[in-house]
Amino acid sequence: MDNPRSMHLLLLLSVFVIATCGLIYELVAGTLASYLLGDSVTQFSTIIGAYLFSMGIGAFFSRYFTRNLLSWFIQLEILVGFVGGVSSCLLFMLFDQVASFRLILYLLVGITGTLVGLEIPLLMNILKNRMEFQDLVSKVFTFDYIGALLASIIFPLMLVPQLGLMRTSFFFGILNVAVAMVVLVKFRKEVKWARYLTFQSVIVILLLTAGFAYADRLMHMAESLAFNEQVIFSKSSPYQRIVLTRNKDDLRLYLNGNLQFSARDEYRYHEALVHPPMMCHQQPANVLILGGGDGLAAREVLKYPSVRQVTLVDLDPAVTELFTGNKMLEKLNQGSLRHPKLKVENEDAFQWLRHQNKTFDVVIIDFPDPSSYSVGKLYTNTFYRLLRGVLTTESTVVVQCTSPFVAPQSFWCINTTLQQSGYATLPYHCYVPSFGEWGYIMASPGNVADKGLPLPQHLRSFSREAFAQMSFFAEDMRAVNLPVNKLNNQALVHFFEKEWAVYQ
Amino acid sequence: MKLSRSEFLRYMALLAGGAYVAGCHEGGRYNHITGKITGASAAVGHRLREGQLPAPQQEIRTKVLIAGGGIAGLSAARALSLAGMEDFLLVELEASTGGNSASGSNDLTQYPLGAHYLPLPNPENISLLNLLEEAGILTGYENGVPAYEETSLCFEPSERLLYNGRWQEGLIPQFGIGPKDETEIRRFLALMQTYRDKKGADGKWAFDIPVANSSSDAVFTSLDCSTMAGFLRKENFTSEPLLWYINYCCRDDYGAGIEVVSAWAGIHYFASRRGRAANADSSAVLTWPEGNGRLVRHLRKFSEKQTMTGTLAYQVEQVGNEVQVHVWDHQKQQTTKIIAEHCILAIPQFIAGRLLQYETPSHFTYAPWLVANITLNRLPEEKGAPLSWDNVMYNQQCLGYITAQHQSLRQSPEKVQVISLYWPLDQLEPTASRHNALKLEHKDWVDQCMTQLEKMHPGIYRQVNNIDVQVWGHGMVRPIPGFMTAPKPTEPERISFAHSDLSGVSVFEEAFYHGERAAKRYLNSAAHS
Repeated sequence: MDNPRSMHLLLLLSVFVIATCGLIYELVAGTLASYLLGDSVTQFSTIIGAYLFSMGIGAFFSRYFTRNLLSWFIQLEILVGFVGGVSSCLLFMLFDQVASFRLILYLLVGITGTLVGLEIPLLMNILKNRMEFQDLVSKVFTFDYIGALLASIIFPLMLVPQLGLMRTSFFFGILNVAVAMVVLVKFRKEVKWARYLTFQSVIVILLLTAGFAYADRLMHMAESLAFNEQVIFSKSSPYQRIVLTRNKDDLRLYLNGNLQFSARDEYRYHEALVHPPMMCHQQPANVLILGGGDGLAAREVLKYPSVRQVTLVDLDPAVTELFTGNKMLEKLNQGSLRHPKLKVENEDAFQWLRHQNKTFDVVIIDFPDPSSYSVGKLYTNTFYRLLRGVLTTESTVVVQCTSPFVAPQSFWCINTTLQQSGYATLPYHCYVPSFGEWGYIMASPGNVADKGLPLPQHLRSFSREAFAQMSFFAEDMRAVNLPVNKLNNQALVHFFEKEWAVYQ
Repeated sequence: MKLSRSEFLRYMALLAGGAYVAGCHEGGRYNHITGKITGASAAVGHRLREGQLPAPQQEIRTKVLIAGGGIAGLSAARALSLAGMEDFLLVELEASTGGNSASGSNDLTQYPLGAHYLPLPNPENISLLNLLEEAGILTGYENGVPAYEETSLCFEPSERLLYNGRWQEGLIPQFGIGPKDETEIRRFLALMQTYRDKKGADGKWAFDIPVANSSSDAVFTSLDCSTMAGFLRKENFTSEPLLWYINYCCRDDYGAGIEVVSAWAGIHYFASRRGRAANADSSAVLTWPEGNGRLVRHLRKFSEKQTMTGTLAYQVEQVGNEVQVHVWDHQKQQTTKIIAEHCILAIPQFIAGRLLQYETPSHFTYAPWLVANITLNRLPEEKGAPLSWDNVMYNQQCLGYITAQHQSLRQSPEKVQVISLYWPLDQLEPTASRHNALKLEHKDWVDQCMTQLEKMHPGIYRQVNNIDVQVWGHGMVRPIPGFMTAPKPTEPERISFAHSDLSGVSVFEEAFYHGERAAKRYLNSAAHS
């Protein structure tokens, strides 16, 4: 291909591609910055400013390139493709990891801008001896601006919705390097260090292609870095974000970023949750579990031969389905959610209770912590009075009640609320390493006392002897004079917010 | 001040701080929003003025005819029914009773079309406490203090205010105000507390609900001579956030601001409530998804068989020992003469005057209102206090919005919500404002409401699906200076008046009081004859 006209065309086409890529990198950086840092006006204008300024720096330095222009141009293309291509992936990964994310952001924008700024002047220098100057300027800038227009249109309309940010930058990185390779092949006679450049461009293109292909996993990793563990499942249900992580042999469930259990010590939590109310009933046959869609409390309940039926009411079918279908998780809950004695109802507990006429011997309440007004309603006197409708005087109830060490006022506020709603209570606590010192309150319309029901064999931590210690509260876990939690004061949510604030 | 539709719109936009260009709805960005205008059947009501209805073809006899099925009419019916007097009829112009406490519903929720809450009744207001107990809203007494149904008490968080770009708890500006403002706010609230605790020489509370039970001691009634704004100037209150707050409260309860209402009425708002609850703060309010529609549902039970809806009383005349009332059923297009021993006109004075052919006293003026029920996808979470029952923006034309689903016990975040925007149309004098408001089309109201809502939540228009607009032409009586001390309209022997406007304060308690009072007047006269 020695026809000079087609050579010119090729170089001009590469201007077009370069311009498109250049603007895309700028848009990716701007979008990412406003996505991660917020305040899109500031982010976009500072990114665009920094980018244009860096291009100016690049243009300034172009004067120092006087020989082997074509080779430098190819080298530049490979570099731009690499830096621009990996930029969004790098930014996603580093967002939670580095102290000064902005520094990294502007550094990347600066490097990309400088390299892009070098490209056009370099290309013009290459073409200046092959074309009329007037013709050259006109053509180069025409292609440059058309490329920019194309980029600005396809970026919001096609690329972001179809490919996502990470794939977009990988894709344009590949295009950039592809330009380098085509020029390399077509002009191989004029290019110095051709083998070295070929080698380099192949490596970079492979790297970027791999990034493009595995963008989903990379995205996943970025998320798992934030959790310090490997995310093995994540899903947004209409109610919450469900994330399951694994770290060696530990499996953890997070709902909306709050740890629900760690497989290493969940037995401590669930044994302490289930066995006390069971042993305080003569012969528990009908058991109700509110919340607890992971089936772990149900696993403990099903260890009692006297139990005939377990009803599990959990709002979110996404959670109960996850813990029904998955082998690894079923190993953990021992397939409790598929047990013939167990019935799952995916309903709102408040609404569900309103339409019940059955009574239950034991009720296990394993709701999320009262961190929002909507969950706070499930800890009010109105809720506990409604609950009374499904109880007999013999029934026992247990409520998971956050940490009496971190949040004593929250814990004892629930106790006051239960007492004021007509229950006798028995508060206790248990140490769960991944949670810390955790609290529970047993309650009954009658009295709460050990009825001598034999405990299942092979419990790992709970025993009657252990329970004697659990029901003793040291001075640093006590609080007095707490109000009743009501729909019209949401006192608990206020306490909870205040007491956990230091740990956030 | 007569304005064309576009002039009025431009004027409203100007007040709202925006620019309005006739026919240019910002590139039709609200075109996706559906909805309709609902409202008191003004067209039917206007037939009253025009006359020309056919002569009655039939005659009915009853002991008491109640004209008007708002809270006053329904309360009168209840009082009669409780006294064992079931021989009465109630005629209501609209398709259903409820008046200003009417409610609507869609697939998601019920929502109020007007009045939407009831503050805790004062301990002396036994009738009202009994009503609430009867409805199951008051569940019992603890040491003499009433306990209320938990689901009827407004859930926390109840109020938030958007001030200086940040949502804060409560409606009194707290953050970002100066020390002078803080001092004045404290001084004002303390002053109102002293008025709340005061009794007149006649041993009555200086300010009470119902208004009729308030002291007639001149020390207090003299406050009826000046405006609230005049009183505040005299007392040296100049803090902008404080004046905004007081003005907000007056517009909320009276449909008119501090420059319009009397000092007596302005103070009454802050100093007349001494209600308590065993299970809530004294500042608590009772509210329901359907607003005071909950109370209407209970009151209706007492007049189910006696109610004739879609029916307008257009002529009332005392003839000898009976009252002859001509009514028009606008669905069947037929007129009926109802002959009664007594008639209770549970309608506003401006209509009563027309029926009885006397000039309604000039101090009866009525503020037009707008209530817009807006269906939208979830409201965004913003800086500061979370979505509350009542959500208000500082220095705004409308009074903000309440969330109909606030009293819901559901966990699930509803994807679609209904909010009710409240807006007293007090930019112009009531007559001009009403006149102009009734001319507006649905799309004009959408523009108006969205301008207000967009200020609170920029970009929210994308989330909005539907806006139903309820225009209350004569929404609330305005307690202007001189109202409280003006002589009450005289009632003919066999005709009683029952409406909250007689108190000058358009609230549930007053309507209920006047309904019961009128029923008692009849029962007493019947007992003596």
